[in-house]
Amino acid sequence: MTESIDTSLTDRLRAFVGLSAAANSARDPVNEPMIRHWCDVIEEGNPVYTDPSVAARSVFGGIVAPPAMMDVWDKPGVRMTRNPDNPQGAVITLLDGAGFTSTVAVNSELEIGRYLRPGDVVHSTLALEDVSDEKQTGLGVGHFVTSRLTYLVGDAPVGSVLFRVLKFAPGTGRAPAAGEAAMTRDPSPAKRPRPAINRDNQYFWDGARVHELRIQRCAGCGELSFPPTPRCWSCGSFEMGYVVASGKGTLYSFAVPHYPQVDGFDYPVLVALVELEEGTRLVSNVVGARREDLRVGMPLELCWLDSHPALVDGAGDSRGPIALPQFRPARQPRRESTLEVADLADGHALPLCPIPITATLVVGGALMTRDYFDSHHDRDMAVRRGSKDIFMNIHTTLGLTERYVADWAGPEAIWRSLRVRLGAPNYPYDTMTMSGSVASVDRARGVVTVAFRGANSLGDHVSGTAQLVLPGGSSYPDRPNPSGEERR
Amino acid sequence: MTEHAYAGRTAIAGIGATEFSKFSGRSELQLAVEACLAACDDAGIEPSEVRGLSTFTMETNPENDVMRSLGIEELTHFSRIHFGGGAPCGTVQYAAMAVNEGVADYVLCYRAFNERSGRRFGAGVQDRAAGATAEEAQFSWTSPYGLLTPASWIAMFATRIMHEHGVTSEDFGRVAVADRRHAATNPAAFFYGKPITLDDHQESRWVVEPLHLLDCCQESDGGQAILVTTLERARDLRQPPAVVTAAAQGMGADQQMMRSFFRDSLTGLPEMAVCARQLWETSGLGPDDIRTAVVYDHFTPFVLPQLEEFGFCGRGEAKDFIRDGNFELDGRLPVNTHGGQLGEAYIHGMNGIAEAVRQVRGAAVNQVDGAEHVLVTGGTGVPTSALVVSRDR
Repeated sequence: MTESIDTSLTDRLRAFVGLSAAANSARDPVNEPMIRHWCDVIEEGNPVYTDPSVAARSVFGGIVAPPAMMDVWDKPGVRMTRNPDNPQGAVITLLDGAGFTSTVAVNSELEIGRYLRPGDVVHSTLALEDVSDEKQTGLGVGHFVTSRLTYLVGDAPVGSVLFRVLKFAPGTGRAPAAGEAAMTRDPSPAKRPRPAINRDNQYFWDGARVHELRIQRCAGCGELSFPPTPRCWSCGSFEMGYVVASGKGTLYSFAVPHYPQVDGFDYPVLVALVELEEGTRLVSNVVGARREDLRVGMPLELCWLDSHPALVDGAGDSRGPIALPQFRPARQPRRESTLEVADLADGHALPLCPIPITATLVVGGALMTRDYFDSHHDRDMAVRRGSKDIFMNIHTTLGLTERYVADWAGPEAIWRSLRVRLGAPNYPYDTMTMSGSVASVDRARGVVTVAFRGANSLGDHVSGTAQLVLPGGSSYPDRPNPSGEERR
Repeated sequence: MTEHAYAGRTAIAGIGATEFSKFSGRSELQLAVEACLAACDDAGIEPSEVRGLSTFTMETNPENDVMRSLGIEELTHFSRIHFGGGAPCGTVQYAAMAVNEGVADYVLCYRAFNERSGRRFGAGVQDRAAGATAEEAQFSWTSPYGLLTPASWIAMFATRIMHEHGVTSEDFGRVAVADRRHAATNPAAFFYGKPITLDDHQESRWVVEPLHLLDCCQESDGGQAILVTTLERARDLRQPPAVVTAAAQGMGADQQMMRSFFRDSLTGLPEMAVCARQLWETSGLGPDDIRTAVVYDHFTPFVLPQLEEFGFCGRGEAKDFIRDGNFELDGRLPVNTHGGQLGEAYIHGMNGIAEAVRQVRGAAVNQVDGAEHVLVTGGTGVPTSALVVSRDR
């Protein structure tokens, strides 16, 4: 590939930089059904997007569209065709022809001029801002293509997005360094030590197989016991039953083994002593968090690891399947009343929030954002393009990020910008854990900048900043504000 | 007041050990036999006079093999104490009871292993599949999650102790520094001439957070034997007797084997409180009578709650007790004057009993003035035992 590159390709690409053209026009106005579908997929609970009466009483004065949907409305969806008159379409065509056939989004910098409302008809213009030199990236050899889309309703701009994609040649990624490749221990969970099941503890492991976390409970007096006992120490009964735990708990203590290392674990291992809300404790693992996230007392919620698969067609374990309870940082409830700027300080931490990545979320998110690029819904095509599975599209990531920050800031925080950089892909069956902190606060104007990241098992999927206006500063509008225009 | 009939009427008359190393080059059985011979020689008796053997359930050298190699014709007492490192003072208590009852005149307590060059203890249960017995199945609650070693089990307690009592890793480090300082002047110690600094401790690699490498005791090859007889007989032997003033075993509420994670508090050691209560009640002694102690130190964190359970300081105050320099040789309570299991050797606490005997005899390399009564504790986190030995009259 490197040898076949002639420098004139870069020159030909660069010829389009600085050109602009009309991009897309929405066929339908901003509408509540699409907003509701989006909120369903993203699990966005802010009522100003869906509940007319709440929205009417809010600072927005009526239903508004989630700001992260800004660049969804004008997308052509499944009918997308590349427009060769558009400078971006032209360079993409050139790059495809030169073998750089794979595409990933790497940056999105969304600026919100005003919130969109049902009835707005959006169209966009595109300016090609930059095409990079050929670069060797982890994914492969390619070029970064940077465009700015400006969104308009009628003649009035309502927002813009700076959008950067990497067009790369599949199969040209950087080989892992020698150390990375030489894994001495196999971390597959099936290699973990199996629990031994006997008549005293069978209720627990039977429950685990159906993803029920069972706590032994005396049928006589209701006393809970862990580890189990054949006889209730409280009332003396031998009639021992169980209750299914809610799955809510806190981190009572933890240990982080580094050595010795054995198969089945990814070191260092986060081992938790979890205190369940029912009162008993158990040892488990913390997943979807990093070592530095662990704090005694942090809220946790149950999830499951099907560690030892059943024997099927000669593969698996003849002793039967095993599932292990695991815990991740508990998603905190959405804030009902919006934060005041006076409540904030630099460095103020946002709560951790784990987001399970399911195929449903990946596919649903892509389709909800009118993104029919095959690698977001078709695993065969994704694999053919050099990916291990389908992966989340950037618009879903933006929606999840908006939800995370707004769940913390409150329903009437007003968004100004959402700038993200994408890294490791979000593949199904992983968990992305969001974390964040207040990077800066402008108290007079009420403007807060939040730095956030979403990490999965491969590293940082997303990092970036969000800027919002909070009540208590001069930039926050008087309510209600049917125009939606914030005061600058 | 509770009374133990053997207390004050029995004594340790001899101590004997092999060298402490990382590679003995001999069988574990040979180490046991050598240690037993050395203890008999120390006391000045013939091994053939021994009629009892007391050891740990974890000991791999059974009484019949040891007896045969020692040239003993018959045994009238043989006993084993369960729960790993919790056993050492328990073997002495069993021996004391046996000689006081007239069941045997001389009982040897012994522990010998190649636990560095042979099966390494630090490896824990990583290579052992959980079994379905009540005892083995308890590992099902921890092993599948990656808690597979003693260090990992103790680390879980350490995090909670740090959280509740404001203890820092440096506080754990001060225990290690004191042990290694004492080992540095003890020619029998593996780390003879090798003291460490607090910086060394802090810079040593993680084994299991929050435990650094230097929070963990050694794995050692070696053997240690303790000869117990009546005080009356001991007075006629070669060495001044170390009187068994008090001895106790203890098991606490909701006790698990190093993994008592499910009891109300993780910051105390209820089983050691059971021992402390018995020692003080049966002897009439208290912490103020103890000038030096051998405090079980497989991992540094559990040294702190032991100080609290025995009343050397209040609950949560052990960190201050240590920061105030009380472990220094001229301090309030020099601890582990032989170097402990971090500095001398890890012989499951049996070498600590030998050090207490040397202090009582006035023959320790780091001798403490006025060491009339010496406290020894057994393993922590497990059902355990403790002992006070004293100067005769």
